Amino acid sequence: MHINYWNELTRNNFGKLGLAMLCFVLFIALFAPFLARYDPGEPSHAIFMQPSFEHWLGTNDIGQDIWSRLICGAKNTLLVALGVGVFTTLLSTVIGASAALVGGLCDRILMRLIDALIVIPAFIVIILVAAYVLPNVWTLIFLISILTWQGGARLVRAQTLSLKERMSVYAARTFGANKLYIIVRHIIPNLSPILFAVFIHSATRGVFMEAGLAFLGIADISTVSWGLMMHHALRFYYLDVWKWWLIPTGLALSVTIMALVFIGHAFETAMDPRLRVVEQEDWQ
Amino acid sequence: MKIPEIGTYAISFLIILALIFLLPRLMPGDPLTAICGEEVLVVMTPELKAELMHRFALDAPLWKQFFVYLTAMMHGDFGYSYYYNAPVLEVIFEALPWTLLLVGSSLVLSTVLSIIIGIESGWRRGKITDKFLLTTTMILNGFPNFFIGIILLLLFAVYLGCLPLQGAKTPYSGLSGINSMLDIAQHLVLPLIALTLAQIPGSYLLMRNTMITTLKEPFVRTAKAKGLSEVAVRYKHAGRNAMLPIVTTTGVRVGTVVTGALFIEIIFSYPGVGLLSYNALLMRDYPILQGVFFIVAVFVILANFVVDLLYTKIDPRIGVNNAEYAH
Amino acid sequence: MIELRELEVRYGKRRVLHGINLTLKRGESLSIVGESGGGKTTLGLSIIGLVEGTVRGEILFDGKNLVALAEKELKEIRWNRIAMVFQNVENALNPLYTVLDQVSEPIVAHKLGDRNEAKRRAGELLSMVNLPEGRFYAYPHQLSGGEKQRVLIAMALANDPDLIILDEPTTALDALTKVEIINLILTVCKERELTILLLTHDFYAASTLSDRMAVLYAGRIVEFGPTPALLSNPRHPYTRGLLRCYPSMTTTKDLQGIKGRMEFFDDGCPFHPRCTQSIEKCREGAPRLEEYDGRLIACHRGGIIPLLELRDLSKSFDSLKAVDSIDMTLYEGETLALVGESGSGKTTTAKLIMGIFEATEGRIYLERKQILGRDKSFYQRVQMIFQNPMEALCHLFSVREAVREPLDIQKQGNREQRESKVQHILEEVELPSSETFMNKYPHQLSQGEAQRVSIARALVLNPKLLIADEPTSALDASTQAKVVKLLLNLQEKRGIGMFFITHNLALARKISDRLAVMLRGTIVEEGPSSEIISNPLHPYTKDLLKAAPTLNSNVPIVPKTTSKKNEGLGCPYANRCDKAIEVCFNEKPQLRIFDSHRVACMNL
Repeated sequence: MHINYWNELTRNNFGKLGLAMLCFVLFIALFAPFLARYDPGEPSHAIFMQPSFEHWLGTNDIGQDIWSRLICGAKNTLLVALGVGVFTTLLSTVIGASAALVGGLCDRILMRLIDALIVIPAFIVIILVAAYVLPNVWTLIFLISILTWQGGARLVRAQTLSLKERMSVYAARTFGANKLYIIVRHIIPNLSPILFAVFIHSATRGVFMEAGLAFLGIADISTVSWGLMMHHALRFYYLDVWKWWLIPTGLALSVTIMALVFIGHAFETAMDPRLRVVEQEDWQ
Repeated sequence: MKIPEIGTYAISFLIILALIFLLPRLMPGDPLTAICGEEVLVVMTPELKAELMHRFALDAPLWKQFFVYLTAMMHGDFGYSYYYNAPVLEVIFEALPWTLLLVGSSLVLSTVLSIIIGIESGWRRGKITDKFLLTTTMILNGFPNFFIGIILLLLFAVYLGCLPLQGAKTPYSGLSGINSMLDIAQHLVLPLIALTLAQIPGSYLLMRNTMITTLKEPFVRTAKAKGLSEVAVRYKHAGRNAMLPIVTTTGVRVGTVVTGALFIEIIFSYPGVGLLSYNALLMRDYPILQGVFFIVAVFVILANFVVDLLYTKIDPRIGVNNAEYAH
Repeated sequence: MIELRELEVRYGKRRVLHGINLTLKRGESLSIVGESGGGKTTLGLSIIGLVEGTVRGEILFDGKNLVALAEKELKEIRWNRIAMVFQNVENALNPLYTVLDQVSEPIVAHKLGDRNEAKRRAGELLSMVNLPEGRFYAYPHQLSGGEKQRVLIAMALANDPDLIILDEPTTALDALTKVEIINLILTVCKERELTILLLTHDFYAASTLSDRMAVLYAGRIVEFGPTPALLSNPRHPYTRGLLRCYPSMTTTKDLQGIKGRMEFFDDGCPFHPRCTQSIEKCREGAPRLEEYDGRLIACHRGGIIPLLELRDLSKSFDSLKAVDSIDMTLYEGETLALVGESGSGKTTTAKLIMGIFEATEGRIYLERKQILGRDKSFYQRVQMIFQNPMEALCHLFSVREAVREPLDIQKQGNREQRESKVQHILEEVELPSSETFMNKYPHQLSQGEAQRVSIARALVLNPKLLIADEPTSALDASTQAKVVKLLLNLQEKRGIGMFFITHNLALARKISDRLAVMLRGTIVEEGPSSEIISNPLHPYTKDLLKAAPTLNSNVPIVPKTTSKKNEGLGCPYANRCDKAIEVCFNEKPQLRIFDSHRVACMNL
């Protein structure tokens, strides 16, 4: 079926909501310098201030303005989402597609590797590695990507294999098409929905993992990260500060993940025609 | 689908072994602290240093070090925690039962709940119940597990104060028998709910999707036509078929539950391996970290293997015996 | 008895007959067949010296050259030695005289008897041709067509000739009368040991009345040989075309015409504008009648060329022999149907030809050249239509892009040329070529439209060979009918050789010239479709025919699969065949020739 994915995405309520939420977070990240009232790293205020007109969400244990930190954290989260999304998708595509296209021994080896990697809990590995490496944002993006590409690669490989066997590809071959033409005109365009799904999925996982690692304290302390903010805030749960420190930060993180999850769900529903019809019934 | 291959799991196991071996040794800086943890510096003497160097064969080539490392592993020697002043395995085994309790109960609970609400939701697709369940779980899906834990902690333990705040049992309470069990259960409630809630969305969505597609299979219509009760159609025919993907992904879910437990234990100070590794992380107690990592990874790999084995028994279409009917 | 040497007849500048060479011995019968206007009547008339044009060459009758003979001598031979039964058209008989008068007339004219004697003999002749006594004194307009034909025959026999030229003796007669006339001619000729020269376009008459047959096209003989062989296995494209137009009870394929119309050419093969396999050479010089495998053919390409030849072709997947050394030939412009159940290896064969699979063993020849590698030019000549059009069209391509794709891949022409080709081909497959339609995507098309788009993109490269793999099995009945008609029309127009793969025997018989039945990777029977349908020899073909759909309520009985396991060593049908004997399980039967079939069965 020829599907206009953008239309399908915006017709689905989850899709619409997800896009709106993502735009909202994106807006905040882009206009952070105008929205933040103070330098997020500047510990120049009184500590544990209650929310007030000067400090909308009060201040933290070392006197930084929480609102400003919250606003600036969006950039970090989106950067990780984009970075992990792009990098993981790239790895999955290159490895998955080349396994399927080259075939033979190469495919068998890569497939065995993918199978072996899939059963290893990636997050645990990342924690261990991160404990040694103490990553900054970029090394973290790199780390998450090279440890989580396998699921996407399996999907891309399966899809490429089925594309290779499609009648329309055979038809192109019977017109005298060479391998390059088939890859460029048939495989890649047909792969793009899957790649987008892998991208959204990886981005979601990236955000979650970055936040999780920061929450465990594995992060560069100079970055303004929501996970790291929660890590610090949790230490003071017995004070009332959690109401304007811990909860808003957690909600900001949740809204971002939710946006990605909604988009991913709407998109996957659009991709599976059996579900598509149902969802249209459901949500219109 | 394929028959489980031991080879694949062996490779996974080797990757784990290699990772634990290589990470501390390839890091810049002193490999000794990277292997033994920073706490070793407190008790470090030239004699100890010499002994440790010898023990890990750190002056020998890498392959020889690997051999020494493997031999130690095979003798159950996972190193020594200078922070706890005890062998790693001993420390881990003390924490492991709590984690197993939490992970096991959450796995069972989340699976059963997801299957039931997935079946019901899929059966009623488009109806108000389904819309409600779908929306709720989708929103829940946006919350990271540690945030769910934090909200529960703040709401029930801090704000309402109706459930215990931390730990797995009341310390020094001297409770025994049934009271002790109740105490443990009471402490388990919040971490269990948090972990289960974080686990449900993924399984539920999978269950609902497969239920919807299964309901379109002709055999469902056959079942209805035979005059079976609605419950029988829903569970015995559609439900059981729709359950297959949930079962196959159990192995992967064990991985995510274990990872989730790590966070939940930290939040509720639940004395499992998660909390243990968190403390090890803070203290740079690398032997513990490596040990926990090894045990958890091997556990997850084994779980995957077992699921793979069981799956051939659950789905009669898969298995060695069927091969000759293929043609 | 009579020999034509380089006979040429001109009407003014127009050459109606060209280099005709024919020999006819006493007692033999020869038919000249061809469309009207081809010069048949001129040939007949030139022999009895009545042709109005200029005659060159020699007509040797018992050694005498009739062309050079004076009118007086010619008159002696005319009707006494050579008589002609004229075509039974309006006023072939004089409307003003009774038939008895007209039959007796040549006797009187040649002074073989007086008026009474002549009338008596004429009466005898008319009785012999079964004209009722009461009709002797009738005028031609009072007679039926059959009766007039009898009179014409009686008249030709009046002077007891040796050679009789029959010009369309059976045309315009109803079926039963036709048979009577043919029987009459047969008896009379046998009694009188007549030599027959039959000029006709009616293959039925030709097949019953002649031993040998010459096909005349635009004044030239294009094919010459024994009648049965020529009919069952025409080798010249024109002969095949004529046979395809001729409805007979054993024809199974739908009637097809020959494109274009007859024109006379001085140079070049006269048939080349209508021929689907013509090459440059055909335009330059007229081909001589030459012998190829016991048949005289006037064709630069040696008759219908084998387009595709499969020789000992095999394909194994691991231990499974999907295709087991099959041997087939597909001639230019014909349809070869490959019939068999699913899993018999039909599609694998198609994919082997297309190069989607590599053959394990065997050779494939295209236009007599072995295919070693497939480059772009191969795919210009060979194209394929797939079973499910929706799958064969990439859903991301619009109709325009899908049809243009082959041209893009082959890098043919510039953008505008490709666009106009796309429009043209869409019209040819009876699809709209509007912007709206060309911008549609596959899911917006109906099944039938999608299959037409598939056909269009296969034809846009102008292939000589089209492999159609169950092209209609995904379509509903009415769409199937339309698509099949379209394919046949395209074949007539472009002369495409079609390799039609189907499991439906009833469909195959309607579209194919020849039929091959495939079972478990081997060909069990192969031959002309009409023969296979009317006279199947292999038990599997027989059972397939029994099981083919009919609209009566009788359910045929087909043999049950026996429990005896077929190891694949012997006949692939052994465990289902009710005539199977021990040897069938152990030895693989080879294809052997029976009449025009090839059959692989131990019990024949």
